[in-house]
Order: sequence, then structure tokens, then C-alpha cells
Amino acid sequence: MSHIETIKQFIVEEFLPDVTPQQLADDHDLLSDGVIDSLGVLKLIAWVEERFGLAVDDTDLDPDNFRSAASIDAFVAAAPQRVGSQPCTR
Amino acid sequence: MREHLGLAGGFLGQVRARPDAPALVWQGEEVSYRALYEAAGRERERLALLGLAPAEPVGVLAPKSPATIALVLACVLTGRPFLLPSPALADAQLADLFAQAGCRAVLAPQGTAERVLPDSGVASQPVPDGTTFMLTTSGSTGLPKIVPLGAAAVDRFTAWAGPAFGIGPGTGVLNHAPLNFDLCLLDVWTTLAHGGHVVLVDPDRGVRGGHLLGLLESGTVHVVQAVPMVHALVADAARRAGVRRLPAVRHLMVTGDAVPQRVLVQLPGLFPNARLHNIYGCTETNDSFVHEIDRDAVHRPVPIGRPVPGAAALVVDADGAVVEGPGAGELYVSTPFQSPGYLDRTRHRGAFTGHPAALRPAGEAPADGADSGADGGSDAGSDPEQADGAHVGADGGADAARAWFRTGDLVRRDAEGRLHLTGRRDHQVKVRGVAVNTAEVERVLLGHPAVLEAGVTARPDPLTGRSLVARVRRRPGAALNSLQLKQHCALGLPKAAVPSALTVVDGPLPKTSTGKVDRTALGRLSELPTAEGRTS
Repeated sequence: MSHIETIKQFIVEEFLPDVTPQQLADDHDLLSDGVIDSLGVLKLIAWVEERFGLAVDDTDLDPDNFRSAASIDAFVAAAPQRVGSQPCTR
Repeated sequence: MREHLGLAGGFLGQVRARPDAPALVWQGEEVSYRALYEAAGRERERLALLGLAPAEPVGVLAPKSPATIALVLACVLTGRPFLLPSPALADAQLADLFAQAGCRAVLAPQGTAERVLPDSGVASQPVPDGTTFMLTTSGSTGLPKIVPLGAAAVDRFTAWAGPAFGIGPGTGVLNHAPLNFDLCLLDVWTTLAHGGHVVLVDPDRGVRGGHLLGLLESGTVHVVQAVPMVHALVADAARRAGVRRLPAVRHLMVTGDAVPQRVLVQLPGLFPNARLHNIYGCTETNDSFVHEIDRDAVHRPVPIGRPVPGAAALVVDADGAVVEGPGAGELYVSTPFQSPGYLDRTRHRGAFTGHPAALRPAGEAPADGADSGADGGSDAGSDPEQADGAHVGADGGADAARAWFRTGDLVRRDAEGRLHLTGRRDHQVKVRGVAVNTAEVERVLLGHPAVLEAGVTARPDPLTGRSLVARVRRRPGAALNSLQLKQHCALGLPKAAVPSALTVVDGPLPKTSTGKVDRTALGRLSELPTAEGRTS
């Protein structure tokens, strides 16, 4: 199942408060135009870990995994879930 | 003590004496002095095939890696000047800079940089004899300025910094800064000149506190120099992970910005065996002041301290008079490590000057405006010709006729003679170690056709020290949003200068009594709760 709308919702709330998720293209490159800087990526990773119950370790830190809503979605889909952790439902 | 041979000589000496000792540690793998020398040799051969004139400059455009360091070493060992700009600059800026430095070739390890070619429409500037590194100012002030450093100045730097921070054979030195930062003179180049090993932080993991902590816990790092944010990330990660002590570190240096007290108070406990230093320097002058922080007095504000050996400092008041004793004014610095001046001499004016006291009568002459605008300098009419012959440092030193560099930093000298930073004379702020001119960011925002008014200011940030906030009034009926504006900013500004919080409004921005955008009020507005301020 795709989480792309959830991901876009978080990105606009966190980094682009005046933008709607619909205005953000799935493949919009968030890193190259400064929407998200390296600290923003950290914030994003912390959220992905919490929201999807994943452990993102250093070897996954290829920025390309977090370049767009679509690439984050693909990363989440491919990542094994952390044992004993459930996605939270807020 | 054996005489220090400088960067090239020191490195070659290590290759001969200790070929199997580690020179670099990258992603957990060691690169020996021999392997690094051989990689540099392959780059030398490749350089030789380019058919360049003997001291013709080249561009180096590549992210940090052992291969990039080998390419830089190939240039150093052959006495070839090289421009090493930040890969984070916009392509158009890079093309302009490479052309200005006269680089026909822009190289990446084992190939050419495909991203950008020198702009054929930009005239090249003569590169001073004996130049090795050419760095760029970090500012967002229009096009960055190219700062050439002489090989002799770099050698004087490595001769000072090695013994000053106990860097020798077997010493591990953490390198967090990008290779284009002048901080690398210490953590990369001094280390290689003295036989230590550089533990290179992968830029992709550079803000992962846990990763940084892991490198320090390994026990192979003895010297750490970094901007305050890095120390904050490490201290926070250590607290989360329950790591109480990092005993291997012997020297810890904070540089690039004022250290937040919150971070400072954690350092003595976390680094029980480390001497703590606050270093002040500019790309133009390199390290200029060092203050050893009293481990028992970390609750007091940290001064920038006193000039390093061979360096000199002046405090100059608003009237151009030199302040003796306690007092406040702008800081002028002269060091044995400094640049002879910007490559573009038209931008040199007002920054590199003769002794301010000698220039005072000239200060009454009207400035011709050559230094106006983006530089934001209130040039006191200093004559660039005097810059080359006016000052003989009290220390003598190797440069008998060193210029003074006008830093733009405002300082206060206390009764003990120590200097404290108090602010900037222009609109410059530091964001994560990068100097950003907020007026320039405003100009870029105003360059968007749908923007009516723009104000940019910096606000305190618990982790990075400072972040940029912008408020923009759009034209009536325009559908402009922060996404489009950030894209617009990224085209004309380096990444650090793209405001992290950007608010688009339809009403007028707050104004001062003189009708200018009130940046102080903007800072207050930015503290109101918004989605941007939410923490997850």
C-alpha cells in the first residue's frame, strides 16, 4: 500500500506550511532546491522511523532514499519493519 | 626540533618514513600514506597529459573522498594552483568562478567534472605567484570571492598548527568540514603534513549525531575541530546513548561561530582528557585567534582570546581610530597565514588595507563606490595601493609588508586584553558555519516577479545556533507559495542561504520608522506557533 499522501502531508506541514499536498509533485526533488536541508532530512528520518515503525540505520542514509515523496515511499515499502514496533496511528 | 618541511615536504617525508601508516580513514577503511601517494601520482600523470602551462590553475569540483584528496595532493605536489569551491554553489556561480580563476580544466577524481564548464564570457584574473589553494568566501554576497593562498602561507600554517594541537605520527584528527572550508587546513592538511591520520566524516552522515559519536567512541580520534553544531550533535547523541566519557580526545576545538552555553557546559565532562579551544579565523586570514577555554569556567562567555603567534589584531572605532586598551570597535587582523587578497582586485578594496591609522587622512576622501552594494562595506576610502606596503607587523614574520584584513566583526576588548565578539557591521549572519548576508537573500527574493516585499532575519536555533527566516508579501492575485520561492532561491543562492522558514503573506510587512522592513519584528513574528515550528 502506498503511503505517499501521508508522506506528502508531513512534508508540507513540516517544511512548506502554505502548500497543499496536491501542489507537491510525487517526484519533486526536495533536496536540490532547498526545501529540505541535511537537518531537515534528519527530521524526516525520525518521522519515518516513528510513523512506519522502521529502523533507519546509517547504511540507509543515501540521500536518494529521501529525495522525493515517491522515493521515501519506495524506501518505506522496501524496508523491513522493526520487530515489536507498530506504526502509530495519529 | 627538526624544521617543518611544509605541506608537500611533510607529506612526502611521511610517505618515505612511514609508508604503511594510515593517512586517511574513510567509511571504516584505512588509506595508507603509500596508497594516498600512489593515487596522487596517478592524478599527476593525468594532469601532465592535459598539456597545461606549468603554473596554470585548474578547478577541482568533487565531494569529499580519499580520491578527491589525492587529486588535491597532486596539485600541491606539482605546485599547481587550484580552485576548490563548494560543490553546493549554483552551476552558474561555479562557471563564473572557474573562469575568473583562469581554469580551462575542471577536474574530478580520475576524470573531469561533468557538471560545469568555465563561463567563456568571464575574464580571468591573474593568479599571484606561489599560489596553491584557492578557496572561496562562504558568503551569499553575490558571487563568492576567490581567496588565493600562497604555498608559503599554508606551510607556515601547518608548521604552527601541528605542534599547537599535538598533531604528529599516530594522531587521529576528525575532519567534519567540507574540503572547500579553510578549517581543512588544520584537520586535513596539517594532519597529512605531520604524519597523523584524518578520520573523514562522510558528508551524507555528517548530521547524524550517532554516527559522529561512533567515530569518537572508536578511540582513534584524538583531535576534534568543528563548528558548534557538530559538538551539539555529539553531546546530544552521547546523552541519548548513555555515553558519559570520550577519553581518547586530547584537543577539542570549537570554531566558525560563537559556542552556545548549552553545548559548552557539556564538553568538560564528556571529554575528560581534552584541552578545549575556541578558534577564530576567516577564509582570508585563516586561524587568527585561539583561546584556551578554562575547563572549570565554562559557564562564562568565551572570548576569542589573543592573536596566534605571528598574528596581530587592531580594534578600530567608528571614526577609524585605533582603540588602545579596553574598548569596542571593528576587528582588523593580520596573520602569517593570510591571503595576499581577493583574486578579483575590484572586490579587494576596503577588505585588505594598510594600517587604519595610516589611512585616516585618506578616510576623508569620498569613496568611489567600488565596494558598495553586495559587499555592504562602509569603505572608509582605503587605498588598495597602500595595502601592499603599509604594515610591518610587530612580530616581523616572513611577510614584512602584510596587509590588514578588515573582518567586519565587531569586538570588545576587556581589561585583560582579551577580545570578545559582539556582532557584525553588515547584514552578515553565520548559518551552520556559512556566512550569509541577509540583505542578499532579500534581494534574491525580491527578484521573483510575484514578490512585493521581503524581509530576512536569523533566529536562534537550539541545534544549529541560528536559522534563517523569511517573510514575503506577494503581489495581489499571485498564487506564489513557499515551494516556488525556495526553488527560486536555490537557483541563485547556496543551500545554507535558502531560508529554512519561509512565510508568504498578502498584507504589508512590519516597517521601521524609516520605512524599511523591520527585521527585529520579523524575528518576533517567526516565533509565533506555526506548522513550521512544530516538532515531531
